[in-house]
Amino acid sequence: MTHPLLQIFDLNVSFSSYGRSTHVLKDVSLKIEKGERVALIGETGSGKSVTSKSILGTLPDNARIDSGSIRFDGQELFAMNDKEREALKGTAFSIIMQDPLSSFNPVFRIGRHLDDVMYFADKRSGVKSSAKQRMARISDVLRQVQLENPERICAAYPFQLSGGMRQRVLIALALLHRPTLLIADEPGTALDVTTQSEILKLINQLVDEEGLSLLMITHNLGVVRQTADRVYVMRHGEIVEHGPFREIFENPRKDYTKGLIEAIPPLYGDGVVDQPVAETRPIIKLEKVSKSFEVKSGFFGKKAGYPAVKETTLNIAEGEIFGLAGESGSGKTTLARTIMGLLGPTTGRITVATHQHGEGEKVTPLRELTQIVYQNPGTSLNPKRTVSETLSVPLHFVKLPKSEHRTRMVSLLDQVNLPESYLSKYPHELSGGQKQRVAIARALAANPRILVLDEPTSALDVSVQKDVVALLQRLREELGLTYLFISHDLSLMRNFCSHIAIMLKGEIVEQGTPAEVFSNPQHPYTRALIAAIPVMSDAEEEQKPKVSEEERQQFLVQARS
Amino acid sequence: MSGSFLEAFLKRVFGFILVLLVLSVVIFILARVVPGDPARIALGPSASQAQVDAMRQSMGLDDPLIVQYLSYMGKAVTGDLGKSLLSGKQVSEDVLTFLPATVELVIVTVLFMFGVAVPLGVMTAKHRNSWIDNVGRIVSLAGVTVPSFVVAILLQIFVANFVDNWPILGRVDFQLGSLDGPTGFLLIDSILAGRGDIFLSACQHLVLPAFSLALASIGQITRITRSTMIENQRRDHVLTLRSFGVPSNVIVFRYLFKLSSIAPLTIMGLEFASLIGNAFVIEMLFSWGGFASYGLNAIMQKDINAVMAVVLISGIFFIVANLVIDILLALIDPRVSAKEAR
Amino acid sequence: MSVIGSDEKVLSSRYMQWYRFSRNPAALIGAVIVLSVLLAALFAPYIVPHPDHAGAVVDFRSRHAAPDMAHWFGADKVGRDIFSRTIFGFRISLLLVFGVLGISVPLGATLGMLAGYFGGWTERIVSGLTNVMLAIPPLVMALAIGNVLEPNLVNAMFAITLIWWTWHARLVYRVSKSISAEDYIEAARMAGASNFHVLTREILPNCIAVISVKTTLDAAFVILFGATLSFLGLGVKPPIPDLGSMVADGRQFLPEKWWEVLAPGFAIFYATLGFNLLGDGLRDMFDVEA
Repeated sequence: MTHPLLQIFDLNVSFSSYGRSTHVLKDVSLKIEKGERVALIGETGSGKSVTSKSILGTLPDNARIDSGSIRFDGQELFAMNDKEREALKGTAFSIIMQDPLSSFNPVFRIGRHLDDVMYFADKRSGVKSSAKQRMARISDVLRQVQLENPERICAAYPFQLSGGMRQRVLIALALLHRPTLLIADEPGTALDVTTQSEILKLINQLVDEEGLSLLMITHNLGVVRQTADRVYVMRHGEIVEHGPFREIFENPRKDYTKGLIEAIPPLYGDGVVDQPVAETRPIIKLEKVSKSFEVKSGFFGKKAGYPAVKETTLNIAEGEIFGLAGESGSGKTTLARTIMGLLGPTTGRITVATHQHGEGEKVTPLRELTQIVYQNPGTSLNPKRTVSETLSVPLHFVKLPKSEHRTRMVSLLDQVNLPESYLSKYPHELSGGQKQRVAIARALAANPRILVLDEPTSALDVSVQKDVVALLQRLREELGLTYLFISHDLSLMRNFCSHIAIMLKGEIVEQGTPAEVFSNPQHPYTRALIAAIPVMSDAEEEQKPKVSEEERQQFLVQARS
Repeated sequence: MSGSFLEAFLKRVFGFILVLLVLSVVIFILARVVPGDPARIALGPSASQAQVDAMRQSMGLDDPLIVQYLSYMGKAVTGDLGKSLLSGKQVSEDVLTFLPATVELVIVTVLFMFGVAVPLGVMTAKHRNSWIDNVGRIVSLAGVTVPSFVVAILLQIFVANFVDNWPILGRVDFQLGSLDGPTGFLLIDSILAGRGDIFLSACQHLVLPAFSLALASIGQITRITRSTMIENQRRDHVLTLRSFGVPSNVIVFRYLFKLSSIAPLTIMGLEFASLIGNAFVIEMLFSWGGFASYGLNAIMQKDINAVMAVVLISGIFFIVANLVIDILLALIDPRVSAKEAR
Repeated sequence: MSVIGSDEKVLSSRYMQWYRFSRNPAALIGAVIVLSVLLAALFAPYIVPHPDHAGAVVDFRSRHAAPDMAHWFGADKVGRDIFSRTIFGFRISLLLVFGVLGISVPLGATLGMLAGYFGGWTERIVSGLTNVMLAIPPLVMALAIGNVLEPNLVNAMFAITLIWWTWHARLVYRVSKSISAEDYIEAARMAGASNFHVLTREILPNCIAVISVKTTLDAAFVILFGATLSFLGLGVKPPIPDLGSMVADGRQFLPEKWWEVLAPGFAIFYATLGFNLLGDGLRDMFDVEA
């Protein structure tokens, strides 16, 4: 009788903090067969990371394992002594860490991290190795994760590598001692879509080649389809349901799973929504707008211009949901801030309604016209101010008499589906979605005509995202607003926007209605971008544009050495 | 890498020269706007008005401030800090005579401080809430709560009563004769002269003043080392190493130690100001006869040229110490030099 | 990593702060000590056995009297009760604390906030000035100014203040600069808030924790600092009792008359200990670096 590679049985873990004990894992059972790829999905705080830490034995000091067992290859982990457990780390199972920057000690070279991990694992298993031998083995593994120049990588400090390169080093770290089980904790989540897709491909390829088992921890259902045979859905520390991924995706039994799946906007197929195209006069006009930032360099501070936006011309019609897509550093946020009058253009001319600002002119924020909703609701609300204090600022600005403030605030909260009682609450008393609603209410308070939405949903859980998007849609219809929607989430933009523009290195490379752009992308970068989006079904996968290897490489320069 | 390091270094030196210039202006203005006529002070209350006027003339006190400043600075860069109003000797000569004793004391103090505070901080962070943590807590509290003059007095009483033949005053035992070495540092000169007995005596004499002077800063540095160590322990990179079975001793003493030395070093730079200040009290109590004693004397006698020189040199002392620390920081943290050179 | 489920009740930050403070016996002891020092200074004439000894009283019968029932901590060289003078000594120490911090904290905090928020030239001038002032050892500066002017309490206060504001400016500058980069500041500005509103309503409330921790810890430093100055003879004029000069007076009669330095020395330690413990407790409670 063979036993599964990993078997977790009725695991209960609790954390104690501030004199209270929180039950974090409740009767969690999970099984991974040899060579199997299993995904553990769930939203923030569902207990996925705690589960992986329980397996690895890296739970924080305030955690307590109340009951249950974890068996690896038939051996009970909780019955082992420290030394035996340490011996398993990196050799029996290992983890691909999530955040590529903070996962390295900033004052040590990459090579030092790799060599120490290898040296101590060798020492535990009684293998004698010289520094030279270890370097040779490390180089092999680095090449395996497609880092071409191992010596250079090892000599670099973490901050000198790109995010994609660091993520590859983290994968190499996990592979150093040929473990049988690989645990991947949201790999590539912090990276751009195209890089993330490369990373997932790499992990899949390595799992295949080495015959590893994989535990993929993620909140992204698209990632699950690419990397797992079986799925466990987790919520509030409990396994909600589990089964083969196709079964779960096509026939979810629990409402929570259903909701999770329905919350994902489809990229292709019947479920896709086409937003009506606005046939109105443009409210925003950009003529050959460029914006560059001065970067000091050299001892005597020679100033060099770093172009963030280059010669951009575009029109946004009134009432439109204009989507601006691009990866980090593409200049989309700079462009939006230039439109809002927070930055002056270096060259070119911008017209917003009747306001104009151009090269060399003093700019003032166009507060009456434009307002913004930020990406992270945690940082866009002042922690020391209540909801009503936050809302009173724009009301004061539009010179609403003090006596009418409260009525207006209540109606604003009502517009974003929050009860009046929330007026006296502080931000820390609100959930992420609620905070974002307050931020939207603040933006609406000054009666703007244009709302800039800077990735308003990317910091939220999938199920909350859906509600916020629905709210934004309703508000636009009710109030006749124009949206400038900045995002890198293309599947959301496909369904939410009426017009979409793709930015690459400060330039708009392609624009049109989402239907046009997605069915027939012209620019190779657009094709690479769409191809990299993790989707939910094979049918959608097939409708994605095909990208040749050269095209793909062209836009992935940073990820390689 | 090395190019950017050099660039960062030059930038720093440039910045410090700037600070020094502004510092000299501030001190100059303070010295000139204070009430009381330096010429009158120099000549004493019995001098006639005519004498005072002549003195003012010769001191250049009637020139415009900017002229006075430029002529003072012009001389200062050539090492001429003016004459002491009381002794009539060149201030720069006096400074050169007295400075080595203080520099020696301060360097020994700093070494002692780091030797005690950093290991203590690391140990208290590693064994939180154990007996060693409590020892560290008491030491750091004592450092910030007991004035260094009280520490010095208590030590002197204790040693005088309970330890035989341990010196509580001066730099060296006078019975061993004097030593006229090239550096003025007794520890170095005695070795150069092959006088082991003087070396040993100088070491003995250093113990009490260095300890009294170090205690305050030991408290601060132990505390900051402990708290950064603990903060860094929570970081993801520690989890990375733990996840791959790197032993916790290696994580603490290699990885965390280097990363956590940044904060105490930075604090050390600022502590230099209070260290130099406290040296004035400690030198007095231990009859050290160094630069600080000279400075205290000059201040008490209102010897304005000497006072200016003392404040200016204290500032230079602080600036040089911070320059050294900045270089150390750039060597430890590669991000610093990369950022500075940008 | 958050382990609290999204719909579970989040612990309020006030609760967490209070939890940290109340579980910290050192912080509570510190609070009690600080309170006792404040009360002792305030009610000194009513609680000490010889209130008149705070002045120029001579009682030759009890010159250098050792501790006994009449003089709990002995008597000094002119026979004055050391315990009474020590309690009165708290008054001068606290006067110095309030004088120095009352000016330098608002001044430093305001300049630091302005520099952090506006950047540009304001930032360059303020940080340049603080860098220069930090290079002068405070004690040296205080000695120089105090003596060249006239050694008395007001001048000592002036000299200390001249240096002290820079520490607060530096700290608040750092905090306000990082807060100014937060989205909510830009959001407030987009919503039409004036600079004055942003500084006083958005940034200041976020600096209060840091400022109060630093101020509490500074109170201890100022006491130490003032004691050192008066130990060197630059404090208040006799016969007003001052802890530092009492230690200096008593030092002449060491080691035989050890009690003459014991009470004032311990009093300095007691007051600074209180402020330090309280400051550390507040630091843990607010979870800030100061």
